[in-house]
Amino acid sequence: MNRTHVFALAAAGLVFASSVDAQRRRVDLTVPSVAPAEVICFALYTVHDQTLKLTAQLYPLSEEASRTVRLEVEQGGAWVEVARTEVIERGWTAPFRVDGWDASAARRYRVVHGSEATYEGLIRKNPTDQDEVVVACFTGNSIRPAHGGDLSRQDLIDNVKAVDADLLFFSGDQVYDHRRHYAAWLKFGRAFGEIIKDRPTLCLPDDHDAGQPNLWGESGKVSTLGGAADGGYSRPGAYVQEVERAQTSHLPDPADPHEIGQGIGVWFTNLNWGGVDFAILEDRKFKTGPAGRVPKQGPRPDHIRNPDYDPASVDIEGAVLLGERQLRWLDRWGRDWSNAQMKVALSATIFCGGAHIHGGANGRLHADMDSNGWPQAGRNRAVAALRKAFAFHCAGDQHLATIFQHGIDEHRDAIWSFCVPSIANLYLRWWQPLEPGSNREPGAPEYTGDHLDGFANKVTNYAAANPEKRPGGDALTTRAAGFGVVRLDTARRTITMECWPRNADVTGSAARQYPGWPRTISQLDNYSPPSWGALGELTFDVDDPVVELVDLASDEVLYTLRINGKKFSPRAPKGRAFAIKAGVAGATAVVVERAEVGDAQRTIKLK
Amino acid sequence: MCFAGWAWQHTYWEGPYGPLFWQGEVFDLASALGGQWDAFVGSGAGDGWVQRVIAWTAWPYIVCMVLSLTARARARAQLAGLVLGSACLAVLAYAKYVASLRELPMLIEHGGQVLSPILLALALVYGARHRAVVAVAVVAVVTTFAAHGAYALGLWPTPASFYGIPAVLLGSDDATTTAFLRSAGALDFAVCVGLLVPAARRSCMLYAALWGLLTAAARPAAGMSTSLSYWGADQFLHEAVLRAPHFVAPLYLALVWRPADAASAGVSTSRP
Repeated sequence: MNRTHVFALAAAGLVFASSVDAQRRRVDLTVPSVAPAEVICFALYTVHDQTLKLTAQLYPLSEEASRTVRLEVEQGGAWVEVARTEVIERGWTAPFRVDGWDASAARRYRVVHGSEATYEGLIRKNPTDQDEVVVACFTGNSIRPAHGGDLSRQDLIDNVKAVDADLLFFSGDQVYDHRRHYAAWLKFGRAFGEIIKDRPTLCLPDDHDAGQPNLWGESGKVSTLGGAADGGYSRPGAYVQEVERAQTSHLPDPADPHEIGQGIGVWFTNLNWGGVDFAILEDRKFKTGPAGRVPKQGPRPDHIRNPDYDPASVDIEGAVLLGERQLRWLDRWGRDWSNAQMKVALSATIFCGGAHIHGGANGRLHADMDSNGWPQAGRNRAVAALRKAFAFHCAGDQHLATIFQHGIDEHRDAIWSFCVPSIANLYLRWWQPLEPGSNREPGAPEYTGDHLDGFANKVTNYAAANPEKRPGGDALTTRAAGFGVVRLDTARRTITMECWPRNADVTGSAARQYPGWPRTISQLDNYSPPSWGALGELTFDVDDPVVELVDLASDEVLYTLRINGKKFSPRAPKGRAFAIKAGVAGATAVVVERAEVGDAQRTIKLK
Repeated sequence: MCFAGWAWQHTYWEGPYGPLFWQGEVFDLASALGGQWDAFVGSGAGDGWVQRVIAWTAWPYIVCMVLSLTARARARAQLAGLVLGSACLAVLAYAKYVASLRELPMLIEHGGQVLSPILLALALVYGARHRAVVAVAVVAVVTTFAAHGAYALGLWPTPASFYGIPAVLLGSDDATTTAFLRSAGALDFAVCVGLLVPAARRSCMLYAALWGLLTAAARPAAGMSTSLSYWGADQFLHEAVLRAPHFVAPLYLALVWRPADAASAGVSTSRP
């Protein structure tokens, strides 16, 4: 045996050892074999408009086991069956629906299978009697021990209980395994079941959940390009359907149920909880893929590394973001203030390029079309629809916590958005513009202030939980990781954003949030352009009426809002005239035929 | 063709070396050499240290693409260049292996591509019928087909493209595609076993050559469209080109093992 042979053997041995070692360090996603009494892994639910929807997630059932699962509710000390369903074997989910649900009181529930298996939890009462609705927000649940982590989630569990969150929002990437969603989803449930079982939970399947690194869904097209920038789903339609059954079948009924390509359904909808109307958006499913449509500007079809490029050149005609049907629904949602004092939009990611330096791009990138800053026209339509409802936006995906206010025609003329940090960061990102922002708040870091993102979208940054300036490789890390808390005060109409690192005790005096948090804004800050002026104050004879401004020239709704109390000082663009409509349940009657900036006060009777 | 395909990938797009270079240790090295964070990450114009190093990795492929055409038996330097090219392909295979979280088939499936320059060099030096050339070709075919077969059979989680491409080209549903993949995977392993059976090996290689050609061509066939810029050729065509060893190596063996040639000439073992 000569040296060449020895080297070849040693190299082969290193590779093999590395592979074996990696196997050991890889996530163990073996689905455990459980006793019949343990066959129910976890359950998720929502309650909306007197309808309880609950999905129980089971382990695989044996051939001889019954496929029937029952839902029981505790009434008067006894368990009463309220629904039963058949298990869907692909994915082992059991979806329940109970109409006519009385959400005025909390109820204990249990899911039952056979004679032994039960899983108990609490259906909370609708917190309409509380002034504050607390939402715990998460994203990016990477679990790869090969990268240094299969870190306990106990800190998150403890903190959610400590803040007594009324609602849980998992914005995406609950699962990072691209081929074994079922096994990884069970692991997610085992990790978070303790808090999920007792709270309504919203899960949005994002790209990694669907089995790919990025997702431009193009209404269910099949993707064949590595990285999926050609648009579409990389995994088979049946796989995606299984993912969506697991993660979204407990959401309120889809607002516009229909099938797209490969039999994949849609699930965008809204949830009214505690007087807050949450729009649950699908911002990946309809999005156009950039490969072959957008002029090449970088090392990947979706990456732009040419800072001198023309942003208009990538804003191609016909490129879709939310899709026409979802946008039409969003317009209707924005005008419907039934049982709502505030509105919030939830989606996978934020409507701008919210990072400059990407671990996945080996450094600084000018723009990334995975962000919803692209396509610009689609982004502007989405943001315009949301600002009309003064909707606050919460999302994730970016592996970097940020606070932005978006702008369309001018900086700060649209909604605020809070991108929450990852539970565990697969790779790191930084918000680090080359130039300091304009109009920064006194004492604020130079990376804050007015900027243009890589697509020339107007954005104003208020905070960024930048990690230390050092690559993390692909090491799973708790650097810049954590979770978010959004406190929605329906009495004062304020939104408080909190951003906590991992392994912090939020109740402890020493606990510190990331720099820039907490931050409190007003509901009205979500559509208050600096260039606007004030119409005369309106005084109503009822509390909290719905008010709507309609542009007399275009007949377009400027915004709709359930005001706080009896007085409201509407703001509007100067030099234009508006009709004001108002009503108790909805803005049905014209109460001011013509209003302009600078008008005198008005008293309006609605009774 | 393999070098040409990868040269396109490296020059027009980018080489897949990010998982190797974007590491804290590399940043420490850059810092020791005087590089600060801003220089390390760049200005957004591809001028970060890691981005530039990755860009430089294109040159060996461009050079080797030329060497593949110009190398001759006595051009030792050019032959050495081809061997270095093989080493570059090995590093590339390792980078993809790391990116796949160290899935063994992702490393092994590149065996045909990694060995193709050595195959050419050996053939030039010893002649196309030399035992060493045949042996390397056999290893190339076995590694390529065994690894792809492992993925297709689901022994390792099957890559998404294995599903998407048949779904687009055949219009098959999930169940049919899965059955198709399992069959193809079984045949991949049958090809590897058939190599050991003299009576079957040529037939196996003819099948392998055809299958390698079809699967290489499937990528542009499934992805290209007249609705795309350049019909999508810049995205997909090189994916077929760089997979040329997948059909050239088995075709070579099929030709070497032609019955008339095998009976009359035998396989050479002599040195030049």
